[in-house]
Amino acid sequence: MGKLDFFVRRTVQLGITLWAVATALFMLFRLMPGDPTSYIISPGMTPAVRQRLIASYGLNDPLWVQYVRYIQNLLTLDLGRSFKTNERVINMLVTYLPNTLVLMLTAFVVAYIIGISLGVLTGWYRGTRFEKATVVTALVGRSVPSFWMGILVLWIFGAKLGIIPMSGMTSLGSGPKNFWAMVFSLDFLKHMVAPVIVLAFYYMGYPLLIMRNSMLETLSEDFIDLCRAKGLTERKIMFNHAARNALLPVLTAAAIAIGYAVGGSVLIETVFGWPGIGREMIRAVLRRDYPVAQGTFLVLALSVIVMNFVADLLYGVLDPRVTYD
Amino acid sequence: MTTATGVGGMAALAGCSGSNDDNGGGGGSGGDKLPQYTYLNNPANYNPARHDAINLVGDQLKKVGLDTKVQVFEWGTLYTKITEEFNFSFATWSRGLGIDPGRRMPEQFHSSNTGKGQGNFTGYTNKDLDPKLMEQLQMKDEQKRIDTLFDIQKTINEDVPMHPIVQMPNIVAYNKNQVSGWTDHIAGYFHFEPMTNIEVNNSKKELRGSWAETLGTLSVLGYNNETKLIHQFEMLYDKLVRINSKLEADPKLSLATEWERPDNKTVKYKIREGHKWHDGEDLTPEDVKFTLEYIKKNEIPLYSTQWEMYDSVSVDGQWVTVNFKDPVGPVHKLFSNQIPIVPKHKWESRSNPAKANITEPVGSGPLQFDYWDKGSELSLKKYEDHWRPVKFNRRIWRIIPESSTVWSLLKKGTLNYLPYTRIGKQLNDNQDASNIGVKSAPGDGWWHFSQNTRQKGLDDKAVRQAAVNAIPKKAINEQILYGFATEGWNLVGESFGKFSNPDVKKYQPDDGVKAGKQSLKDAGYVIDGDGMAHFPK
Repeated sequence: MGKLDFFVRRTVQLGITLWAVATALFMLFRLMPGDPTSYIISPGMTPAVRQRLIASYGLNDPLWVQYVRYIQNLLTLDLGRSFKTNERVINMLVTYLPNTLVLMLTAFVVAYIIGISLGVLTGWYRGTRFEKATVVTALVGRSVPSFWMGILVLWIFGAKLGIIPMSGMTSLGSGPKNFWAMVFSLDFLKHMVAPVIVLAFYYMGYPLLIMRNSMLETLSEDFIDLCRAKGLTERKIMFNHAARNALLPVLTAAAIAIGYAVGGSVLIETVFGWPGIGREMIRAVLRRDYPVAQGTFLVLALSVIVMNFVADLLYGVLDPRVTYD
Repeated sequence: MTTATGVGGMAALAGCSGSNDDNGGGGGSGGDKLPQYTYLNNPANYNPARHDAINLVGDQLKKVGLDTKVQVFEWGTLYTKITEEFNFSFATWSRGLGIDPGRRMPEQFHSSNTGKGQGNFTGYTNKDLDPKLMEQLQMKDEQKRIDTLFDIQKTINEDVPMHPIVQMPNIVAYNKNQVSGWTDHIAGYFHFEPMTNIEVNNSKKELRGSWAETLGTLSVLGYNNETKLIHQFEMLYDKLVRINSKLEADPKLSLATEWERPDNKTVKYKIREGHKWHDGEDLTPEDVKFTLEYIKKNEIPLYSTQWEMYDSVSVDGQWVTVNFKDPVGPVHKLFSNQIPIVPKHKWESRSNPAKANITEPVGSGPLQFDYWDKGSELSLKKYEDHWRPVKFNRRIWRIIPESSTVWSLLKKGTLNYLPYTRIGKQLNDNQDASNIGVKSAPGDGWWHFSQNTRQKGLDDKAVRQAAVNAIPKKAINEQILYGFATEGWNLVGESFGKFSNPDVKKYQPDDGVKAGKQSLKDAGYVIDGDGMAHFPK
């Protein structure tokens, strides 16, 4: 099979997966116990008003009508309006997704730079105290719930020492600004340090451990001996030969990890009061705000599915031995 | 409840001849056991204090002899089960009566309103009470209306379909180094009068608060009555008549400087001269006429109670005349202070106002739009040209979901007031900090103890009275609500001043369980050896 065929086949699969996810989400929220109307309607409203509001949201239509309308709307990227705030879901995604991406990608880059570097050294210095220390650190990072770590960091450095901001992306009352002006402000960087460190500490363990294992495998191969026989310096062997070859599994795993990372920031956003998509998702689920919950879940699913797709393609590009059969 | 009274009366006679003692040792002579009752509870994380209180009341009900099972349901399910399926015996959540104590009475207690999704979910019917519930809304004479409301309170207190467990206060916590001058108001400290009275002392004269959720919209005609938005619109828009802290219509606070009532179905308002919208355009009587006609024409759901009241609106010079369909009693509480006046030049081109996307609202109130960083912060700034200006420069609200963070920032002075101060551990633990002030005033809200009068046993007011006797109000207030609330006795609490009937019966003065058992026995019910109540034979 050629590369084009592979691409087309995978794209079709991607479409079907997305449809399945969208349908599952539709069913899931409607099967959950609970009535969204009780969140829409204030107890102070009269029954007539209540009925009028329910009708305006289409909630009194039969389920299949709601489903057909939902799929039709999805195809035109119309994700509906929030039951709670009446805001267009697509506008909410445009507002909150960049905030999540900037936090998550920064943490991701930091985690992978540190994780890969430490992974190389850990593999190289196998059996030393250094290895033990890094492996334990990585395992702790992966095992300790990141929200708990977040609360701890906020408590010590925010509440007790007062050296990090307690909440949000900017200082209170700092005024209107566009997204990029905010991102490049010192105030924003100050707010980002703590959540990035906490997230990066969590993300870091994954590339570190994969890189270490991959290094160990690579180091046992014959060409490393050949490099030594050629008289190359240890430093050159470690970075230019062993690490480069060991990097492949880390990179493909990274693509998938990025997909999951969008969802992974949910708790951190809640703890640090970061106005991102994850925080909104939690609120939407708690309130049975179907349109918002569906929209945010779809974004998460889309990121995982697309990054899986990218990982498949990356494999082929990075490793010539991979075929598309 | 004539039937129930009859049953109760006969049962009382039967009780006299019974041989039961206080310890329930007698048994034997009763009829069938009362059915098992369900008390629906919200999950602990939804409202922890209320969850605990319901468990406590459930235990007490058992001690009285009512076999009660407390069941936890997610809030949406619970609400549907109670208000639509009537699948409950006892229910508790928060309610508020609003500025006028009689406005919601027909909704909650009128016999015609017991259908699915309607307000009278307890199924309480009392044909003698129905006319009074309606008449009080149309009584212009205040004393006559008070007398009728007293009568209603007495009857409902006797029949107890819904009983207050505690009256919830309005509470605001603030940094007392920075904010002062709070005025108590039954509607809350966010209300127009308290907000224009408070003084802020920090370098930028900013009032800084926080709330937990995003706002979503700034459309005053397209929101769902969420409190966090009521707080904004209260200050962004003017209303024809404002109700002050003494519960009186006050022209000093209102858009109308004078008003007249030529008859029971007509009200005339003289609109303030020289006032301008936030964008500099003149605010005219035409804007008022437009607003009233516009919300009626577009059937704006939120204001339907109001637009269904009037037929036509006309303008004559500076005066606006509103003609109502039926006589209206406390017109300013029911109507004039409910509708925000919006600018004609901004809204007339909008064909679907309830769905309009408003991100920079233009109003005429003492605060005007400054900026809205969606998902993070809203800032309103002082409108210098208002006749009743605020005494600070800006009011900023930041979204912070985590309450310990909020309290930490309040103590540091980064925030200086909490518009949604919740009664709980954080408030109790932090209230004594040197720079924290807590203001608490009686409010319009209460936790109701509602009984489904459709159920066997609960269709008899003697059983309902026994249940009400069992509520451990003191323990709930002191142990769960840290003493911030007050025990509830009357549907219309003392916070409503002259509207609250001081002579209603107070249940459970000392030992609620004993009193509850006694009221069952007086009605002929029999407590068996296991302490469970049986119907009279």
